[in-house]
Amino acid sequence: MTQEGAKYEHLYVVIEHEDGQPVPVSLEMLGEARRLMDGFNSKYSSDEKVVAVVLGNQIRPLCDELIFYGADVVIYADSPELTHAQSLIDTKVLNQIATDAALVKQYSPGSADFLKPRYMFFAADSIGRHLSSTVLASLDSGLASDINKLVIEDLDIKHEHKTKGLNLKYEKTLEMYRPDFSGFLWTTILCLDNRNPANPREFHPQACSIIPGVFEPLERNEGRKGMVIDFQPKLEPGDLKVKTLSRQLIQSAVQFDGKKSIVSFGRGIKDAPEENIQLIESLAQVIGAEIGVSLPISKKPFPVNERESSTYMIADRVIGTSGRKVAPALYIAIGISGAMQHIVGMKEAGFVIAINPDEDCPMKDECDIFIKGRMEDVLPALIEQLRIVKPAAVEVKKR
Amino acid sequence: MDPLKFGVLVKLEPDFSEGNVSYNADGTLNRAETKSILGPHSAVACSAAFYGKVKFGAKVMVGTMGPPIADSALQQAQMICDADELHLYSDRLFAGADTLATAEVLKTGVEKATIGKADIVFSGHRASDGETGQTGPQTAWKLGYSFLGNVIDYDLDPEKRLIRAKRLISLQGFHDVIEEVESPLPAFLALDPSYKPFFHKVSERLAEQKYLKEARERARDYKKYLTVFNVQQLGVDPKKVGLPGSPTIVYKVEKIPKAMASRKAQVIDGSDAASIRGVAEKIYQVLGGDVK
Repeated sequence: MTQEGAKYEHLYVVIEHEDGQPVPVSLEMLGEARRLMDGFNSKYSSDEKVVAVVLGNQIRPLCDELIFYGADVVIYADSPELTHAQSLIDTKVLNQIATDAALVKQYSPGSADFLKPRYMFFAADSIGRHLSSTVLASLDSGLASDINKLVIEDLDIKHEHKTKGLNLKYEKTLEMYRPDFSGFLWTTILCLDNRNPANPREFHPQACSIIPGVFEPLERNEGRKGMVIDFQPKLEPGDLKVKTLSRQLIQSAVQFDGKKSIVSFGRGIKDAPEENIQLIESLAQVIGAEIGVSLPISKKPFPVNERESSTYMIADRVIGTSGRKVAPALYIAIGISGAMQHIVGMKEAGFVIAINPDEDCPMKDECDIFIKGRMEDVLPALIEQLRIVKPAAVEVKKR
Repeated sequence: MDPLKFGVLVKLEPDFSEGNVSYNADGTLNRAETKSILGPHSAVACSAAFYGKVKFGAKVMVGTMGPPIADSALQQAQMICDADELHLYSDRLFAGADTLATAEVLKTGVEKATIGKADIVFSGHRASDGETGQTGPQTAWKLGYSFLGNVIDYDLDPEKRLIRAKRLISLQGFHDVIEEVESPLPAFLALDPSYKPFFHKVSERLAEQKYLKEARERARDYKKYLTVFNVQQLGVDPKKVGLPGSPTIVYKVEKIPKAMASRKAQVIDGSDAASIRGVAEKIYQVLGGDVK
């Protein structure tokens, strides 16, 4: 399959930044890209590159940084029109970059027949999810979203349509693992050519968006070498028709940062949602904690009074992959089973206490103290003890 | 002036509200036991279209791809946005479609609206079951419309054919940004879940009541407004839809293996008062006595 290799090569990582500061997931994607391509190049005796793609305005220092974090090549499109992410222009420019063979020859003279990248990564956040969708629609290829594990392998595939039921080998296939909404199932998505004689088609790149916070960035290393290539985007007047009128940074109404303790609850409140939320409020009040929730709660699965619903069952309080990452000294998880998506959001906490009647729930492996019991029973007892113990604890501090 | 024309793309989804949703013993969704409804994000898209109907008298077409029972999602959508036209794209050949192949069907469907070419197409943020959020932007790209995502508010200038939208962008690990953008029509809007229409003027409130009444009446008789399209009727290329048009496949589904325990929990009996007291002391120890 050398032919295939020549047309589709290298791993492109679309970098997100805010005025030249990389968003953390950008460096995390580069770290994973580096690890994958090092393994790939040694396994297949090749020299395919990790290519970071930057759209922006006067942010060249960022490009150099990306090399220190693992990129072999940085393709940099610099234009005032690209200052902030904007779907239409960014999609066009990324499409141009991803299909520019002359550009590839600058960093990989052997890539003579380049058509498109082999792999492509985007961030699974408000910008990257949409951008990956439009870019892949423009490149007419497949996309998997919200990925938290990646493997490259040669796979034997038998599929009713892709292979017309035959067993065929697909080389260098990117296995893209995504946890489903429940957090208990892992679905592996593949992007494969149609090798069905009735309808042959090549689908490249194999692309995905990557959940922030799951991969480790590399240590910054100024010893890493790489090259920055300037790209002149070809913009037409029609591409500039969407105008940004204003931009305003906002603080979320709920502030987890700087809180020493966070109390979170999940679907376990279900037996008496309203009363349980009131207990959780009392607990949070005693220890001065902010209140968080698991993702299902933000979908308002239980009828509660309007105040509780609009105060707590909201996206702003979600901790996990679809919400905030927190790292308080103390984290108390109440009635949260511990789906992977939630764990990502709280695993950096200092000390973790879980309250749950089910000792087999995954949360048990993510906590330091597991209180087995129903929150209806445990919370009143815990609040009472906290009130009793409190003066003594404060006394200790004073001395 | 011609009335504005809107398209709304919706989806029938499992109902995740308590009492309707059913989980298997292992915590996964029991699809057979779970009811289906108009997805909550689809409902938000409908209410955004309704805002334009009330304010500007827009005509609305609602479309969905799915099995025959997905027409119930269209009926629920009509109840929200008083749709003038309903489309169900339904064919066995559409089965197994990934987001790219779905976008091809929806794009072709939007272009088939008898109310005319859509000035704005609305979609929800993402489906509650698939949760990819890809289908909307991919449909926008195929239509050649400018795509505005995460929209929390919008307004129109029908004379100048301009839309102004506020977008909420969340940069994880960074701050959030509210961005105001302006685009000529046609445009494609994916609504943020927090979007809510407000009608400030008395005239708008009266129009709202009038259209809501009409919506209830129409939805009672929704089949009168419904057109069902198969592959031929839609005139879509069979190679671009369903399995042949889908670059991606689901290779395998497995239970996420239990991660290596990252902490070693001390297990405490919640009914034992002495142990709970120990936890209370530990809490203050961790907090360093720093409590308000």
